[in-house]
Amino acid sequence: MTHVVRRPLVRPCVPLAARHALLALAITAAALTVAPRDAGAQEHAPPDSSLHRFLDTLADSTDRYFGLIAAPLDTAGLDSALAAGLARPWHGPRTRLRPRLGPVYAFNRVDGTLWGGSVAWSPRNARWRVGGDVGYAAGSDAWLGGGELALGVRRRETMWSLRVTGGRRTMLMNRDHGERRLASARALLTGSDRQNYLRRDGITVAVGASAADWRAAIEYRDRLESPLAVTTRWNLTRSALAAGDNLAASPGRARELAFAGDLRLAGLPFHAQLNHQVSDEAIGSDFDYRRARLALGGEIVAGGRVSLVPQLVYGRLAGDPVPQAAFFLGGSRTLKSLRSDSLGGTAIAVARLELIGVDDLLALARIPHPAMVPIQGGAFAAIGAVWGADPFGGPGTPTGGWPERSAWMSEVGLSLLYRPGMPDEDAYLRVNLAWPVGLHDGRARWSVSYSRALDMLRRL
Amino acid sequence: MPYAALQAIRPSQPFAPSGDALPRAARSFALAALLVAAPAATPSAAAARSDAPGPTLAVEDTMRTEVPEVLVRAPRVTLDEILDRVARGEARRDSLLRDVAFTATLRVVRDPDGAKGPQLVEERVSRVYRKKPGKVRTVNLRTWRLKASKRMDADVSFSSGTEEEIVNFAFRPEARKDFKYRIVGRDLLGDHLIYRIAFEPRSLLGATEPGGLVWVDTRDFVIVRQELDISRSPAPLFIKGIDRVVIERQEVNGHWVLRRLLMRARFTVPVPRFGRALDLAVQFDDYAINRGIDDAIFAKAARP
Repeated sequence: MTHVVRRPLVRPCVPLAARHALLALAITAAALTVAPRDAGAQEHAPPDSSLHRFLDTLADSTDRYFGLIAAPLDTAGLDSALAAGLARPWHGPRTRLRPRLGPVYAFNRVDGTLWGGSVAWSPRNARWRVGGDVGYAAGSDAWLGGGELALGVRRRETMWSLRVTGGRRTMLMNRDHGERRLASARALLTGSDRQNYLRRDGITVAVGASAADWRAAIEYRDRLESPLAVTTRWNLTRSALAAGDNLAASPGRARELAFAGDLRLAGLPFHAQLNHQVSDEAIGSDFDYRRARLALGGEIVAGGRVSLVPQLVYGRLAGDPVPQAAFFLGGSRTLKSLRSDSLGGTAIAVARLELIGVDDLLALARIPHPAMVPIQGGAFAAIGAVWGADPFGGPGTPTGGWPERSAWMSEVGLSLLYRPGMPDEDAYLRVNLAWPVGLHDGRARWSVSYSRALDMLRRL
Repeated sequence: MPYAALQAIRPSQPFAPSGDALPRAARSFALAALLVAAPAATPSAAAARSDAPGPTLAVEDTMRTEVPEVLVRAPRVTLDEILDRVARGEARRDSLLRDVAFTATLRVVRDPDGAKGPQLVEERVSRVYRKKPGKVRTVNLRTWRLKASKRMDADVSFSSGTEEEIVNFAFRPEARKDFKYRIVGRDLLGDHLIYRIAFEPRSLLGATEPGGLVWVDTRDFVIVRQELDISRSPAPLFIKGIDRVVIERQEVNGHWVLRRLLMRARFTVPVPRFGRALDLAVQFDDYAINRGIDDAIFAKAARP
């Protein structure tokens, strides 16, 4: 048993060197009085090592805290089990090729209810993954689905990956942002999903590399793109659809080369991200455009309790102004005071500054609540504009490097954030209240979203 | 063990004491309360145990020690330099390991401080052979479960690496931008100078990296002990918090290697089989280092 007195041996009047010596003496004495540890642990510790005695003292403290689980191992029978285990034929590490099965459900106004299933093989320790899903869309009377093959290999500090995907799917018109599950829930419950959709049939081949401070990828896409009409107008609350139509995509075969890069800026807590897509007749595409999007975002921690999150986006589309390559403004990831994707153009600029507190607001307010719902608070201010050709068929505005002054819209707002930790451990479920300010006036708008804090940076 | 929790502690790569990139989910789940851990990690906390029966260490409170002042002209080693040396020390530690064999014991205990007392749910003992480059074999020696279950299966697989990233993830050169460090204390133990270095993630967003405290032996600049701290649950919906995570190393034939990983987690709702809390531990014993493991150990038998 150990009885160590802490203060008397380390008096403030004692010089530092002596204090350390006495401290070491106390620790040594304490260690000597501690009950002997298990034989296995003692075996490795040289008997004259102060360091090992010190570590054993800490380990004893750990033992007392954890109790049963820290008990020494009963080694009876292990030698014979080892001999038998080594004598048995070994076929390599266990890989468990058991597939993972799961249901697929989605709901939107162009496909109606989609029922289906998915299967995936991703053995533990393996560097590959194969999966696929298929489902029947009752509204559009179509079978939708696809497959994916992913391979990864590490070379030194760089992770290389190859991903091949293909199939027939209903995809979002806004290629920069989008919500799937939350949008399905909105559409099913109240018909308030405003996202626009198109059908894509084809394949994508992507090669990527990533390291601690950067990521890069190059993709080739060959897809037949076609417009979709609204087929389903019902929802559980029998509300009228918030968006009664669906923006029509320009039909045609889209062959694209896409480049993406993400770089952590040296010495700064910011990431810069570039996405560039080229579609050209030279590669057999029906479209001819070049689309570039540059994003910058980061986190500045203030006082250890608050994060300041500035984000910037600038994008341009040159060439054919097809709707499926346009930029969209509105919604939780651009301007929250606008409805999702309510404005479009061939260029976009958005800046947002957000303040996110780390503390649980309910705890600060001393409101009793379950531990599973820590609520964080946030405030934001944003400004943004889209300009150029209007994908919704409007007259559009002049195309250029910068929008007219009247195109800018700004807002301020408040958010309540809850991070459930799954399915994305970094994502927040947010309830936002945004007020338009300046030239863009209107009423305050509530919105619910699920996204990471740095939501203008895309996941490569 | 709940599947979700298992996913959290099991990285996409093996939940190994070493190996390739250790996913953040694994680290996140390996949480500990530093404020709880730190006092227990210092000798002063032992005083709190003074009510235990047994012999008492007498205290001499009349003795004074005076030593003459010494003017130190040498510059004090900076924190950056210490961190550089730790990174080099850890890399050197790994480079000296050619092959390693050890016995690993995984244990799961439910309700460690419940009304009915702690109850062992599962124990799995394995002999692990590792040899560079890239060879690993695990021989199962014993598997015991309180109740047989096909789905609830806490498993440990081992990679071939000996880097022990779970110990040094915050001290790798590429991680320096993600953490803030400070020297908490220096302890002189015989002829060893031990630095206690606290680290915390720079980011407050999302499921942050764990913070913690490490003890660094400046003789080899290797981490000899670590206590992790994540004050925020990685998955608040199900995990109420991680009370404590302790990672211990031991010196075997001049090499610092893992000795134990211990963790206590609490759930927001009672989980079948585990109740409201569980302890998880992996213990490493019976090391054989650089003994020249025969390649025949890793030879795969032809499948019938």
